[in-house]
Amino acid sequence: MTHAPALLSWVTFAPLAVALALLVLDGLAGASGRPVAKELWKGAALAATLLTFALSLGLWMGFDPARTGYQFVEYTPWLPHYGIHYFAGIDGISLLLILLTTFLMPIVLIASWHEIERSPKSFVFFMLALETGMVGTFAALNLFQFYLLWELMLIPMVFIIGVWGGARRVYAAVKFFLFTMFGSLLMLVAILVVYVLHHHQFGVWTFDFVSGPGSVVPGILETLIPTTGVWWQTQPWLFLAFALAFGVKVPIVPLHTWLPDAHVEAPTAGSVILAGVLLKMGTYGFVRFALPLFPVASVEFAPVVFALALAGILYGALVAMVQKDIKKLVAYSSVAHLGFVMLGMFALNVEGLEGSILQMVNHGISTGALFLLVGMIYQRRHTREIAAFGGIAKPMPVFAALFGITVMSSVGLPMLNGFVGEFLILLGAFQASPGFASAATFGVVLAAVYLLWMFRRVFFGPVENPENRGLMDLDLREKLVMAAMIVPMFWIGIHPDTFLRRLHPPVLDLLHVMESKTALEAGPASARARAKLLAALEGAGARAGEAAP
Amino acid sequence: MIPAPELELRAALPLILISAGAFAVLLAELFLRARDPEDPARSPAFVSVVLCAISVATLAAIIASSAGGFVEGSTLVFNEARPFVRLDRFANFAIAVVALGALLSCLLSYQYLRELRIQYGEYYALLLLATSGMILLVSAVDLVAVFLGIELLSIPIYVLAGFDRRKLRSNEAALKYFLVGSFASAILLYGMALLYGATGATDFAAIRSAFEPEQPLAALGLALVVVGFTFKISAVPFHQWTPDVYEGAPTSVTAFMSVTVKVAAFAGLMRMVVFAFDGGGDALGGVLWWLAALTMIVGNVMAVIQENVKRLLAYSSVAHAGYVLMGLVAGTQAGLSAMLFYLLGYVFSNLGAFGVVIALAHRGRDADRIEDFAGLARSRPGLAALMTLFLVSLAGIPGTVGFAGKLQVFLAAVREGYVGLTILAVLTSLVSVYYYLRLPVVMYMREPGGEAPRLRLHSAEGLVLGVCAVGVVLLGLFFSEGPWPFAWVQAIDWTRESAAVLAGR
Repeated sequence: MTHAPALLSWVTFAPLAVALALLVLDGLAGASGRPVAKELWKGAALAATLLTFALSLGLWMGFDPARTGYQFVEYTPWLPHYGIHYFAGIDGISLLLILLTTFLMPIVLIASWHEIERSPKSFVFFMLALETGMVGTFAALNLFQFYLLWELMLIPMVFIIGVWGGARRVYAAVKFFLFTMFGSLLMLVAILVVYVLHHHQFGVWTFDFVSGPGSVVPGILETLIPTTGVWWQTQPWLFLAFALAFGVKVPIVPLHTWLPDAHVEAPTAGSVILAGVLLKMGTYGFVRFALPLFPVASVEFAPVVFALALAGILYGALVAMVQKDIKKLVAYSSVAHLGFVMLGMFALNVEGLEGSILQMVNHGISTGALFLLVGMIYQRRHTREIAAFGGIAKPMPVFAALFGITVMSSVGLPMLNGFVGEFLILLGAFQASPGFASAATFGVVLAAVYLLWMFRRVFFGPVENPENRGLMDLDLREKLVMAAMIVPMFWIGIHPDTFLRRLHPPVLDLLHVMESKTALEAGPASARARAKLLAALEGAGARAGEAAP
Repeated sequence: MIPAPELELRAALPLILISAGAFAVLLAELFLRARDPEDPARSPAFVSVVLCAISVATLAAIIASSAGGFVEGSTLVFNEARPFVRLDRFANFAIAVVALGALLSCLLSYQYLRELRIQYGEYYALLLLATSGMILLVSAVDLVAVFLGIELLSIPIYVLAGFDRRKLRSNEAALKYFLVGSFASAILLYGMALLYGATGATDFAAIRSAFEPEQPLAALGLALVVVGFTFKISAVPFHQWTPDVYEGAPTSVTAFMSVTVKVAAFAGLMRMVVFAFDGGGDALGGVLWWLAALTMIVGNVMAVIQENVKRLLAYSSVAHAGYVLMGLVAGTQAGLSAMLFYLLGYVFSNLGAFGVVIALAHRGRDADRIEDFAGLARSRPGLAALMTLFLVSLAGIPGTVGFAGKLQVFLAAVREGYVGLTILAVLTSLVSVYYYLRLPVVMYMREPGGEAPRLRLHSAEGLVLGVCAVGVVLLGLFFSEGPWPFAWVQAIDWTRESAAVLAGR
């Protein structure tokens, strides 16, 4: 397939390269006595993110939706003795998430153009570094590379929260760092165990997840991880180690307690990226690594995950209902939404998985938009308390309309993106467990309750607080930002097939891989898992058979 | 005619240069003092730096050259009949690391001594003497040589710890280190005496053939010797001296001690355990397991509550000793190689961190409290960034040599099935992240307070910080083959070959 050489690496490293170039230029300019203007730096960073987005559109256009396997693969030996290579490639899942990242970054930079007063140069540096880290993590196919970028992303995020955040920013930043590292470190041990197991089985040392292009060396994915035996070599424990790392990021209740603090204290740009992309790294990690490596454990633990997801959905919604701070309300709504994502994922059928991945993108857009809107109102009134507002639809009608659309998207109104994701998730979950799915549907109602109630209290009714009378409506920059966010909401809501088409092959492939791995082992647990996955595949096949004319 | 022994001078050059150099520096300082009364340490410093640099360069050339004649020919055993000292590839690597640490410490010390107004040339002579002791220790293949090495490296450091005579803390540190160190040396010597009694020999090859772990005399001797070494590597429960001595000694001495003494002591311990005691058997493995576990736990937990940066780094030093011990617990060649690599990375990270503390010393005062770092990102952004890099490396965040070292050690442990210990190491690493993160938080997220820090970085300090930063990032991302133009840096190959030499003999 012909495409620009190394396009994926360009998309990954362009932001960091620009950031480093700006750092050097700034140092040189400062040393020669003529410092670079802050606006120029911000403009350069924005140009870099727009360029990256344009390049990622090239990825989208060059991507063949019908093929399984990874595309735009790049493979360079790095530390061959250890089997550490620069191995990047995308399939439909990572394509969507990379596009989400490159799409949100310029929007975030435009939205926070006036918000960052102190050291905007450092701020954009960290944002660009973060973008490279995020895209790199989504594209990584070598476990060492993945782990490196996964951890490395934490540092810019800690600085973004800790330096430019709100009143309790240091507490929030440190908590975020420690929580995430806790899971990641246990995942490191699990990765090493799998690495050693792979060596025992195949005699090669490699961190490559799948075989490199043109290579016969089997990837880590082909390691047969037993279900019984020495405890730390078995699927359940290794799955738990991975699940802990990813579960902190998702976040799965009860590992979620870092999220409200981090989201609320981060600056707007930080919150949008945190909610929009960083949370997805956790769910992505499950789909990419935890499910295919440990299929039996995934099936066995599915009820537990269902229960925790349901807890997240209901608890997140109930707590969101009683929040007085809009940003905190949105933060808890994230917990609820990601609960839906996990519910769909562990249904382990085509609808559930596709809905789950699509909902990852949807959440990024809807909740990202909500955080942007909250940021806009905070810029004006320097408060996020619901009680401080009331009736501001009158002075700010455009804002109200955009906020309304975003709220509906988050609630899951048909014709907007949220509906498609939630519908597919509930469809998939219902096939796996009608009880859980029914209970989860209640979460949709609760979402409507807390979001619409907040919307009413903030926008409708009489303008009681005199400070709200003279509020300025959105300026052109803000309208531009929100317009950019609204478009995908409608696009995914009305024609989701554009995106679902690209998800279908990798999801089917995932189920095939999981099924074939369960076929290799003996044991009742493996047999149960295999039966479930076969049923899911048959369902998919039957539907495909019906759909074909 | 007495037949002259075959001497391979290339390998012996560092030892000759540094030991003779120590005395040369001492004498030179006496004679040159009159010429430069303002700064009597200038010439000694210069000479020391040159000597260390030559040593490092020679050894680097030996190590980096491809396997073959030059490498084999550079092994020096003195003497063949009854080996006392063995300058083989393992020793070469360890000496190179020690000499590198000494070189970087000399460079760091120069301006620091001037800031604290203790710029005496004897400092460098003592430093070189201690380094020569370390060289002896890592190449020792006889119990007596080990003891000589330990004493020769310890005594100058006792003096160096108390070098700032006007400060009570420094004197206390010196006295404490001297008393506890002497006590430990006595235990070591007693253990050696018992081993001699049990095996009838002091050289490692003879001990190896005569050693029986079941024999109580031999077992007790081994235990006491291990205790003596445990003190030097500051593993729990013989680590109590570390925080007080590290805090009290002048920071440049602390930097030197924390890095080079640890490398030398570990190298000596490795050689002894692997060569003389053939791994020591299951009993020793169990003891080492507990040592490693306790050291990691205590070191990390105690560091959390520290308010003084030097004490914090002291406890972190203790914790890192625990991680290195994991390699010895694994006991394989991979474990030994991992230990060497970890120690190499530790030189860069730790010297870098202490280097920043040294760079902030001003007008007779050390900048060693956490409040002294507040708001550093505003006044000295470069230093703040470098400190963050070094602390990130010590914490073991991927992309740095600290992580690469931990990866090696964890991998070696997991391969031998020590997953419980690895999980413990990983959890204590998490604790360490907390206290390592405190400094960047204070530097970046708090307002500056108190007196203005020193604003000018001396070129020598800048050079050291630069070298350490490059080392941290380069070895972190490319630990086996470096990218051009660092293709000659093949750290893992070197450590692997060194470990192979050790395990093979």
